[in-house]
Amino acid sequence: MNCENCQELIHDFLDGSISRIDEIALNTHLEHCLDCDSVRHDLESILGYCRTHRGEYAAPPNTAALWLRIRNVIEAETPTMAESIEPRKSIFSSLMSRSWQLSLPQLVSSVIAIVVLVSLVTVVGIKRWSVTTNSQLEAAVTEGNSDVNDRVFQRNQVINYWNQRVELNKARWSPQMRETFDRNMAVIDQAVSDSMNELNRNPHDDIAEQMLNESLNDKLALLKEFSDL
Amino acid sequence: MNVKFSTWSVPSLAKIASIIVIGSLLGSLAAQSPQRLSKRYTVGKNVRVELRNVSGTIEVESWNRDEIRLSATIESPNAHVVPKQLDSSLVIDVMSDNKARGDVGDINFKLQVPISSSVDLETRRGQISVSNLRGASVRAHVSSEGDITLSNIVATQVIAQNTIGNIFFDGEFSRGGTYEFKSTKGDITIRIPGNSDFRMVATSPARKIKLGDFWNDGFKTQDGRKYVGDVGDGRSSVSVTNFNGSITFMRR
Repeated sequence: MNCENCQELIHDFLDGSISRIDEIALNTHLEHCLDCDSVRHDLESILGYCRTHRGEYAAPPNTAALWLRIRNVIEAETPTMAESIEPRKSIFSSLMSRSWQLSLPQLVSSVIAIVVLVSLVTVVGIKRWSVTTNSQLEAAVTEGNSDVNDRVFQRNQVINYWNQRVELNKARWSPQMRETFDRNMAVIDQAVSDSMNELNRNPHDDIAEQMLNESLNDKLALLKEFSDL
Repeated sequence: MNVKFSTWSVPSLAKIASIIVIGSLLGSLAAQSPQRLSKRYTVGKNVRVELRNVSGTIEVESWNRDEIRLSATIESPNAHVVPKQLDSSLVIDVMSDNKARGDVGDINFKLQVPISSSVDLETRRGQISVSNLRGASVRAHVSSEGDITLSNIVATQVIAQNTIGNIFFDGEFSRGGTYEFKSTKGDITIRIPGNSDFRMVATSPARKIKLGDFWNDGFKTQDGRKYVGDVGDGRSSVSVTNFNGSITFMRR
């Protein structure tokens, strides 16, 4: 039996409604547990006092009115209590209101710590800013490249169409004509490739862009002209 | 039935056989040899000649007659060349004349034209040379490979373009004229009088631009790949582009 069960049974025991088995268990526990025994003793004293003085106190004439008065008193006292509670000071104000007493080494150490902290924050801030700027530049470069790539892609779509037409007719050509075409196409492809490489190195290279456009136009012209053969 | 038999001696039979063999041989050789075309057209002084060839050389030169003399050597017996004379022009379009005929081989043209003629010459493959013309325009376009040689040319518009091959221009830039020279892989040489006036844009990613005597401090360059500037009063416009070759200006 634990103390909780015991104290529940104490009420039954004092009322005389406990079973025989529970009474034995209760008594066994009470012999070893002084706390529970003390509780039983207190309750017995209260009950004994009540039994002894039964009928000596009359009930109040108007119970409801009594409770109302009690509540009014409590409510009347509440604002006073609220006012009496001091407002919590903020950390900043409490910090500011605090006074510090520092020795010279402590003061020097604090100054050094502040300088180091500020330097670190500045360096990290600059690095982050430069990384952002670089990434923005890279994004701009990528955007420029993507424009060129888009244009090249669109042009290549047209070139592919004419290339297919040329391939269909190629079988009719003489071997010399086929060799000539392939050789010239390779030269133009090299010009396209060189221009693209130059543009990848420097996306704002006007000459490379001009060369790229012209070589793509030349490629298209060559395909168109040979597709008629 | 009476049948008469001729009597042939062995020498006679040998002679006949030899004649047949030689005849056959000559016939087949004649069939294999290129066709030759030669025609003359009476024209005015300011005639325009348009020639669209597929493969072969084109040679144009002037002469002191108001007529065009066309000579062509046609490699394939299947090839047709049907020149068309219109009001003030002569059009020779090998491409159209030989649609669906397959490979027509090389056709080599030689044209003699009035000195003030304009010429518009195209070929897919082959050399083009034009000399001694003083007409309005000269256009020489080789789609793929072939040298272009323009000698002693005075015209207000000159266009020369090829993919692989050299371009040589020897002539004068007329005031207000436009001149374009473009190659993908080849050397471009321009030989003009020292007192020429022109505005020039020369582009060569290979950085092989030599302006020679025509260089002046007014030229602007982008890291040697492109030069823009005026020579003299810059009355004519010259554009030279070479992807992978040199651009050279020479004094005449």
